Amino acid sequence: MAAPFEVVNTGTETKLMVRGSLDINTAPPLAEEIDKIIAGKPAKVICDISGVDLIDSSGVAALVKLYKGVRAAGSTITITGARDQPLAIFKLLRMDKVFNL
Amino acid sequence: MRTSALHGIGYSAQVMAPCIQLTVPGTLRYRNIAVRVVAEAARLVSGSAQRDENDMLDNDVRDPFDLAVVSAFMEIFNNVAIHAYRRSGGGLIDISITPGERELTIEIKDHGEAFDIGDVAPLPTELDESTLPEGGMGIHIAKTMLDEVTYEPGPPNLWRLTKRLPANQVATGRS
Repeated sequence: MAAPFEVVNTGTETKLMVRGSLDINTAPPLAEEIDKIIAGKPAKVICDISGVDLIDSSGVAALVKLYKGVRAAGSTITITGARDQPLAIFKLLRMDKVFNL
Repeated sequence: MRTSALHGIGYSAQVMAPCIQLTVPGTLRYRNIAVRVVAEAARLVSGSAQRDENDMLDNDVRDPFDLAVVSAFMEIFNNVAIHAYRRSGGGLIDISITPGERELTIEIKDHGEAFDIGDVAPLPTELDESTLPEGGMGIHIAKTMLDEVTYEPGPPNLWRLTKRLPANQVATGRS
């Protein structure tokens, strides 16, 4: 089974690609990866969630953690690719405007 | 009532009120099984079809009705596994799904600790970078997505979820 996320560092930015179901079972290992990303103090983070077809509140919490952690470090973050059910959840929670989805 | 069992999943059907019944151990390990059954039941009401017939395990909940039902159910299942059974299992979750002509009702029963739904804090009214919540969103998602969410503390504890098709949506459920 493919990992639900992949991290690519290009030197100038860190790209996190998430796919599948981001939920209470898959969010904890992603949160560990997010801790590593934040600790690395990247200048720019791009989080691509175009491959996520299902999200729950635990998955949302993981992305909020990423967003807050990167911003607190003074770096920039872009969350991109939200579609279908994940986009509906972000809109319901009114996070679509904060994340510029 | 007719009852048959298939790989531990029991189905029962009544002529007037067909009801899908599923019992799973009360841990997150069995969550996806329940979610897939609920997604298929939602499709019976909405009439939506799996977009990728070659990948029946794909999480395909793009239809607004299916999306609402599955999103809410996931949160309530999480709540039961975490709060009622404290992530350690030790009990069962009984799920009864009744797909009607224009609505879907799901009852979720557990024998764990009761949940104080009054303790759920509302989301911040003004949401910005500083007030982004990192928890407490699940019940809000369920309540907002559905037409009715009720909770009766037990034992057994009982969640009842109802979603209706909007008046302008024609039910094309597969029979």
